[in-house]
Amino acid sequence: MAVVTVESPYTRKRYQYYDNGDPKRGGLKDVYFSVDKQYVVAIFREALDDNQKERLKRITGHYLQQISTKEAGDYYLNEVYRWPTDVIEWKGLTGIIVPIYAQKFFFSKGYEKNDLILGAEKNGKWFAGAKFRNPNFPLRIASSELGNWMSYLQICVNLCRGVKKMHAMGLAHSDLSYNNVLVDPVSKSACMIDLDGLVVPGLFPAEVIGTAEFIAPEVMATKHLNKSDPNRKLPRRETDLHSLPVLIYMYLLHRHPLLGGKVHDLDPETDNLLAMGAHALFIEHPTDLSNRPKVNQLSKWEQPWGDVNKLPYTLTGPYLSELFDQAFVKGLHHPAFRPAADIWEQALMKTSDLLQPCSNPACEQKWYVFDNTTQPKCPFCGQVHSGSLPVLDLYFKSAEGAYRPEQHRLMVYTNQYLFPWHVNRNILRNEKLTAADKVPAGYFVKHNDKWVLVNQTLTSLRDITEQADIPIGGFVELSAGKKILFSGEEGGRLALVTIVGEQNQTTA
Amino acid sequence: MRRLPVYFLLDTSGSMYGEPIQALNNALNGMLSTLRTDAQALDSLWISIITFDREVKELVPLTELVHFQLPEILCPQSGPTHMGQGLELLHEKATAEIQKATNEQSADWRPLFFLFTDGKPSDLKLYREMIPKVKALNFASIVACAAGHLADDSILKELTDTVVHLDTADSSTLKQFFKWVSDTIDQGNKSMGTTESITLPPPPSEIHLII
Repeated sequence: MAVVTVESPYTRKRYQYYDNGDPKRGGLKDVYFSVDKQYVVAIFREALDDNQKERLKRITGHYLQQISTKEAGDYYLNEVYRWPTDVIEWKGLTGIIVPIYAQKFFFSKGYEKNDLILGAEKNGKWFAGAKFRNPNFPLRIASSELGNWMSYLQICVNLCRGVKKMHAMGLAHSDLSYNNVLVDPVSKSACMIDLDGLVVPGLFPAEVIGTAEFIAPEVMATKHLNKSDPNRKLPRRETDLHSLPVLIYMYLLHRHPLLGGKVHDLDPETDNLLAMGAHALFIEHPTDLSNRPKVNQLSKWEQPWGDVNKLPYTLTGPYLSELFDQAFVKGLHHPAFRPAADIWEQALMKTSDLLQPCSNPACEQKWYVFDNTTQPKCPFCGQVHSGSLPVLDLYFKSAEGAYRPEQHRLMVYTNQYLFPWHVNRNILRNEKLTAADKVPAGYFVKHNDKWVLVNQTLTSLRDITEQADIPIGGFVELSAGKKILFSGEEGGRLALVTIVGEQNQTTA
Repeated sequence: MRRLPVYFLLDTSGSMYGEPIQALNNALNGMLSTLRTDAQALDSLWISIITFDREVKELVPLTELVHFQLPEILCPQSGPTHMGQGLELLHEKATAEIQKATNEQSADWRPLFFLFTDGKPSDLKLYREMIPKVKALNFASIVACAAGHLADDSILKELTDTVVHLDTADSSTLKQFFKWVSDTIDQGNKSMGTTESITLPPPPSEIHLII
């Protein structure tokens, strides 16, 4: 096996990799592993023009600097991105240096029944569709690799942040898809890879239009036009804001939002072009039902996720449902209406506050979003919640002094924590949180058949209903209609308690 | 989920006896194991294998990749190459198996067709008769692979513009060829360029691609 030494024309750093003559072939690049196994050298098969080289120089120079020197730089570079760090030239071809993937992104088991993909990369596609998680599919992914429903909320949060940061720097991803992300449901991580094709609007145009299932309708519908045609739509920020919700929808619901039962054309390629392009229609459009998947046409592997009657998108809760409507109904053909990445991030965060653990030990999803009914039920396994369930609606103090609802709700379960970002609306729950702000302020527990909030760090927790201060180490009972002030400080929230799930007991 | 049907029409005539047929079995098995580790392939791929020598048989009907079991491909020690009859059976099977669209049901992807031979058709008249019928099935791609010096590229060119010539039908060459076949099958999964071109991936260097 030959060792090749290459050099960066910009940093003059030297890199060494093994060439065994059979590199891993990507779409545009051949990938070689470095001798020290700390990075890969990915070489473009075709010679690049000056503009393309300049783009790589900017990505590995200016933009890398932008990320590493700003807030949460380590989080982005270690968790969310595999960002190229340098450029090399070799025999007239150009390559990039990319850090190797973290160990958690390689299967520790892979398939349930054999070790064919043990050690392989956890390409995002394995976790997107219904097939590889179907308990009857012979080559299904091991349940120990699949995580639970909460894992995918966190995975989506990471992806949103990755897109948010790019957009904040004026970049567009242009080819966001399950193939360009690595996903680890076990540690709830996601990492964006293949970041060398980023689009700088007006400076570096897109070179790919994306990966089939993630291309925005306007790009698909105009792909036959010449690149110089003014009507041609190429990837940019707004098309990322289509690909991102497609990914979110797939990770939370394990089906594609646009591939439904409607036949647009008898020719399969034209049919697909229309389904993803000019005639694209959300399979769960609230009024136009023509693209709803036909249950009798689903393959047996697509069950149960493929059935939108059984598992409608509304199970993702009110915040995400509203955004799916914006992205796939209002914004599908009107890019300006597509929600921005940080809006998705916040909605995913708020949705995590609505999660309830499923009490059925055999439930594969383990968590579900509170369905806003008095008798909550797990949508995945059908398990009905037994016993009472407190719901806290959060209020903030308006300028006039009155407390106003925030459209933010916190579901309580045993050993659920109250965090500083629940207590104070000025503390934003994002990647920039300090270590101090990640320390729980209190926790919830059912004690002697009563739900209580135990105060751990709050200095001005007050039971407004009983007009009593709750010291650190003390607790306040969560009873119906009770008002609890989490903090008297600026931005401190007030919670109103509702108790649901008691019907059985009260009517018995 | 739309299926991608892939048909293999394989020459098992007498000249394949010995090392070549062993190499073909190995290469096909290698290709199938690779595809079984590929999420995209497992998602959509359905495979059929038809063999032709003196007799023509459907070795494996169109089967979803996850269930596909490759039986050992055998060949007689001598005998003619009924490639025309092979095309005839392929035409019959593909016509029956490929899901066409209706207003209610979407179609399969346009199928792929790989023909592998180390010789030339003994039933040339039938072969030529079948060509327009096979072409009418609207395959997304027809690739003919000619292995060894006895294979006749020009006759294969009548069937398809894409003829791959392998100098020998030894194990490593066939393995490389079927690696290329699986890359070809997997094209739909890759990022698409901004300039329209649905092309085959470049073949390995040892293979001559005649287009």
